[in-house]
Amino acid sequence: MKLSPSVLDLDLSEIESRITRFIKIYVENAGVNGIVVGLSGGIDSGTIAALSSRAIGGETVLGLLLPEKETYNPKDIEDAKFVAEKFGLQTQICDITPTLEAFYKTIPIFNSADRLCKGNIKARTRMIYLYYYANKLNRIVCGSSDKSETMMGYFTKWGDVAADISPIMDLYKTQVRKLATHLGFPAELAEKPSTPALWPDQFAETELGIKYETLDLILYGFERFMTTEDITQQLNIERPLVEKVKSRWLSAEHKRRVLLSPKLGYRTVGTDFRLPRNAF
Amino acid sequence: MKEKVKIALAQISSKRENKKENLKKIEKFTLKAQGQGADLVIFPELSLTSYVVRDQLYELAEKIPGPSTKIVEGLAKKTGVHIIFGMPELSEKTKATIFNTAVLMGPKGFIGKYRKMYLPTHSVFEEKRYFRPGYQTAAFETPIGNIGLCICYDVFFPEVFRLTRLMGAQLMVVISASPAVRRSYFEILTAARALENTAFLAYVNLVGIEEGLQFWGGSRLVNPNGDVIAKAKYNDEDLVICEVDYNDMRAAETFIPTLRDLRPELFDKLKKQSELL
Repeated sequence: MKLSPSVLDLDLSEIESRITRFIKIYVENAGVNGIVVGLSGGIDSGTIAALSSRAIGGETVLGLLLPEKETYNPKDIEDAKFVAEKFGLQTQICDITPTLEAFYKTIPIFNSADRLCKGNIKARTRMIYLYYYANKLNRIVCGSSDKSETMMGYFTKWGDVAADISPIMDLYKTQVRKLATHLGFPAELAEKPSTPALWPDQFAETELGIKYETLDLILYGFERFMTTEDITQQLNIERPLVEKVKSRWLSAEHKRRVLLSPKLGYRTVGTDFRLPRNAF
Repeated sequence: MKEKVKIALAQISSKRENKKENLKKIEKFTLKAQGQGADLVIFPELSLTSYVVRDQLYELAEKIPGPSTKIVEGLAKKTGVHIIFGMPELSEKTKATIFNTAVLMGPKGFIGKYRKMYLPTHSVFEEKRYFRPGYQTAAFETPIGNIGLCICYDVFFPEVFRLTRLMGAQLMVVISASPAVRRSYFEILTAARALENTAFLAYVNLVGIEEGLQFWGGSRLVNPNGDVIAKAKYNDEDLVICEVDYNDMRAAETFIPTLRDLRPELFDKLKKQSELL
């Protein structure tokens, strides 16, 4: 197999159809009234909002905008509203700043300089708002994690990844961008740099130290059982970069699995209690 | 024996773990197929229970004969239609040994069954965890032709179909639960198995979503030249009535004489080499 950008090409109409079918059937079988999505103004959440809307109708999809003062960016609000209007979603804005400040004040060991710990509070607080609305309105939370960040462990445990379904988790970031374009997003939005918005001026590619175009090909190579050496040679890049991606991918497995427990019983939850899920 | 046989490809989704509902659907589709003159109606792999039932298989599996096969047998007798469907079969001799089985019922009752030989246990599949493989290919002489039974992943193993054909099968029936990412493989292989054996092949796939698996449907009848002569929708339930004319096999066998050209000595070599792999 030759690792070139074309390996990431998809039949986008088919992918749209499969994802919308997945969402629609899940919502029907779960017996809920609709979907809640967190609308950050980014392309992953915008794509999920669009797909959800096409799957079950925008009137039953609520986009929650959850800004806070440190990472507040009017462009993100504008982009989120554009998506909501284009795809007919309902929206609600909740400023989560007071909630965050309450956490900061009431955690005795809180240290504002530790931006990762602080940022994770933001991701988890957004999750609490999403689930409040989902519980209250008898809906499910539709997550917007993509395959690139999930493989890299580039998410907050119990935070942005927390959801009932995650319909684009098997698409790499560059594939999500193509799908967004296919769905009618303008280029400016489809190519908008990703940020988890945990602190100001945080950008995914800067933090990961690699462009998504390269990262996705490396991850695709690992997905297809290629060796580090083959990937390095085919992409003509430095081996340490491929090794770093591989190491990060493997070391984040704990973030992707259900909780680990020592095996004590006959059948154990998460290990050999193998049951089908309810809604399918 | 009839030379022209009407077949119904009953491409259904199954309700998870709900044998009662699934038997109702089997009845509904059979009655509809009967109304359209079908001699044989074919349902997908594990259509009695749905495919992804995991540990619940131990509760769902039944012996043959058993409560569910008796219901389907009654339906075949009542309608005069042959019925093929898939179910988890509990061994007659043990308490929890299960086979992934295709059952053939006729208007006079039970005709035969086939226990899946190749159980996929890779990627998203975990069949060997639950099922014991079968050890026999199956072809049954019936008033509507000699019918061979195969299941899903078997299609990757030409020897299963060759043996089924050599046992006399004119119509090789493949019941399946194939998820969407594998569609192209099945579209190629079903045509290949029909062509290389110069026999008819009816492929009936599940639809619906179970866990993250989206079964793609696309059920089809392939003629002995490898042409798809009838095809069901992708992804949605469908009932397609099509016709097999066994007379077509003569021309195909003449034009593509693969059975005449069989080299039995290669099978000995195949056995030896596969043991050395």
